Amino acid sequence: MKRARNVGGFAASALIAGAVLWSLVTTDVELSRLLSAAPRIADFLGRMFPPDPTVMSEIVRGSAETLRIAIVGTLGAVILSVPLGILASDTMAPPAVYRLVRTLLALIRAIPLILVAMLMVGAVGLGPLPGIIAVAFHATGMLAKFYSEAIDNVERAPIAALESAGAGPILRLRHAIWPQMAPVIARDTIFRFELNLRESLVLGIVGAGGIGFYIQTYVRSFQYDKAASVTIAVIIMVIAIEAVNVALRRRFT
Amino acid sequence: MTPAIQTEDLAFSHLGSGLPALAEVALLTPEGAAIALLGPSGAGKTTLLTLLDGRLRGWHGRATVLGSALDPDRAPPLARRADTGFIFQEFALVERSTVLRNVLNGRLARMEFFRALLARPSPNDVTIARTALEDCGIADLAERRVDSLSGGQRQRVAIARCLAQEPRLILADEPVSNLDPVRAAEILSLLTRAARKRGATTVFSSHQPELARRFAERVIGMRNGRIVFDMATEDLSEDATVQLYQDAENPLSPLLQVVQ
Ligand SMILES: Nc1ncnc2c1ncn2[C@@H]1O[C@H](COP(=O)(O)OP(=O)(O)OP(=O)(O)O)[C@@H](O)[C@H]1O
Ligand SMILES: [Mg+2]
Repeated sequence: MKRARNVGGFAASALIAGAVLWSLVTTDVELSRLLSAAPRIADFLGRMFPPDPTVMSEIVRGSAETLRIAIVGTLGAVILSVPLGILASDTMAPPAVYRLVRTLLALIRAIPLILVAMLMVGAVGLGPLPGIIAVAFHATGMLAKFYSEAIDNVERAPIAALESAGAGPILRLRHAIWPQMAPVIARDTIFRFELNLRESLVLGIVGAGGIGFYIQTYVRSFQYDKAASVTIAVIIMVIAIEAVNVALRRRFT
Repeated sequence: MTPAIQTEDLAFSHLGSGLPALAEVALLTPEGAAIALLGPSGAGKTTLLTLLDGRLRGWHGRATVLGSALDPDRAPPLARRADTGFIFQEFALVERSTVLRNVLNGRLARMEFFRALLARPSPNDVTIARTALEDCGIADLAERRVDSLSGGQRQRVAIARCLAQEPRLILADEPVSNLDPVRAAEILSLLTRAARKRGATTVFSSHQPELARRFAERVIGMRNGRIVFDMATEDLSEDATVQLYQDAENPLSPLLQVVQ
């Protein structure tokens, strides 16, 4: 047993070392190029400064669209996750069903959002719609899993206690199950909304709507000062989202 | 006096377990009394109390609780369940809800449906709940969330919920098993006193014969799913309780005999 673990540990170390060496040898990271890149990056940053404030209206429009994509996308994920969460729960669904649904959700989680967005742009064209579909699809992989865990973690004892006290099924749902699940579901949904908002900032780069579109446009057309303004706006948004969500999540413990 | 509980030839085996959890159990419990249920681990105390609460299916025999016969295949109607209160060994409280909310949960069946659904108890319901909290000495905890309470405080909330339900029969499954000796006596004393004040019959299971002596008028001894004695507390001899635990047959003993 111990020997087996040692052999396994050695194999893993060798594999990691091999992978690092292979990457270093096959990528041409010559020291000279790395050094000469430094002034070029400095030059690039210099051209971003000072940021161009005239793109304010684009920033507002782009941010609003990103926010809309995240909100509607999260809503879509919630709507999909309620039934899928029930089907992925081992206390609600038979083994054959919940194993299948869990595998499906794991597969969905394995596909990066940006990839889904590219496929959706191909399917339905440019604009926020492919972004919304991509976010809803991608977020369901995680949210439905969270919901199923919230269902499975409901303690049975208080339900039996209310039943013993003469409360019918609706009152048991309302007073024994709902108080256990509601805060968990609220917290998970807010958490996923934060991720959706962060991740959809870059959707515009592949044409799926939102503020990312402007970053891509300005960088491609060498308007680095404008790109800088948008980047600053994105950073501010991310910080604001996090602050709001930390405050919100604290309410649901 | 009419009996609160009357049973004949009760028998039951848990699914997948060859041994009977209950066999030939016959009980007659006068209304208004406090009865202690003693017996070693696995004797069938929880099984018997669960059956009497109407939550066990597939048993045999006859059981009449508060004048109505229990159906082995069907849960009793909700209105009748409200008349039997159960205190769970592990409290069975809604952890994220407040103490008051949990105690009011005991009254859900007594409220008008929409008041219960919308969590808008009548002033009368709130008064009854607060009186139960006072009787259990935890009036000051009403607005606290249960997940912030100690084990002893939770125990009191569980008892208060049962009292607020205003049951005519209280079935308490080891209501003091995880408390220190002083606290245990205190809680049993308040439970039996509050029950007496409300004219309710109490059956509590326990592993402590001294508590049975102090707080019950009758003592029932169980072993291997059978009732081995059922007598007035003053007739309970030291010998009887010692034997109840010492001679307890368990699946291990034949093995031990072989070893010896
Ligand atoms: N869910 C179950 N499935 C199978 N067997 C069970 C189950 N619950 C109890 N039993 C068995 O039924 C018998 C009686 O159990 P019960 O819980 O009624 O005993 P108890 O007197 O309450 O014990 P304790 O003092 O340990 O709480 C035991 O042999 C136990 O192993
Ligand atoms: Mg028990």
